Amino acid sequence: MESDEALYARVKKGDMRAFDVLYARHASRLFGFLRAQLPSRADAEDVLHEAILATLESAEVVFDRGSFRTWLYRIARNLVLNRARSKGRGELAMVRFGASEAPRSGADDDVAHVELLRALDGAVARLPQPLSDLYHLRTSGLTYEEMAVVLGIPLGTLKSRMNQMVNVLREELKPWTAP
Amino acid sequence: MDCSLTLGNLIGYQFATVSDEERQQVEAHLVECTSCLRSYLALKAHADRGGDAEGPSEAARLKLRAAVAARFRPTPTRRVGRLLTRPVPLYQGLAVAAVVALAAALGPALARVVHPALSAHVAERVDTARPSPESITLY
Repeated sequence: MESDEALYARVKKGDMRAFDVLYARHASRLFGFLRAQLPSRADAEDVLHEAILATLESAEVVFDRGSFRTWLYRIARNLVLNRARSKGRGELAMVRFGASEAPRSGADDDVAHVELLRALDGAVARLPQPLSDLYHLRTSGLTYEEMAVVLGIPLGTLKSRMNQMVNVLREELKPWTAP
Repeated sequence: MDCSLTLGNLIGYQFATVSDEERQQVEAHLVECTSCLRSYLALKAHADRGGDAEGPSEAARLKLRAAVAARFRPTPTRRVGRLLTRPVPLYQGLAVAAVVALAAALGPALARVVHPALSAHVAERVDTARPSPESITLY
């Protein structure tokens, strides 16, 4: 399989088939990452457009400190933060999920799973920004090393925050995970 | 390990923050308990798709593709520019230098072989440029 970096070089020479491969590889997960942090699909699509174009237009991308993917997510995250600064955090707060309802007693397995996932969505939406970044980057498929590069923090700090994030979610989901 | 402990550890298990011992306990329980296994698979599937099953719209893809094509598609001007700014590899530079040096060294000899008359004319011109013994006046 051709590497992202090789495809990136081909796109810069105008090879649109290379672009199609890169898009198929990353767009969906990156969109999920953006969708989780922006209030609407339209916003997420706008930032996806800007992020991919900005990554491709970068004059000098040095891949020795990270992969194409880390570069892409770094730019996307900065664009999200810029929007948050310009629009005010209140407007960009997670509005997709309201406060979770209490679990229904006696629910069968399928309903219980749906409720658990809704509870997870709510818990993730209430995570503070640094922990929320971790959750969404990790679920986008990035490795710990890649996440550390994207966030610009040491690997040890990242691991410590991952533990913190998991503990917060675990506490939030206690009512749903109790027998 | 009972169901409550396993479910509590599923998030940590998914994000690989549990200890080796806890991981083994979770895995042992998941093999035996269908309900917890289904919860884990639901959590995993949910996390793997980033919480949103739908990707960007086809319109968004086409718009971006058009923008990338407009920005990077090779035009005659871009092709010429790329050719001019293309870095020359070292071995190509050395090869050109070697050819030039060889031409400078062998050029005069080759010229004599190919054009003997021209060489003689040049030699004659050189001779006439020298002062003849008669033209030297001794004072």
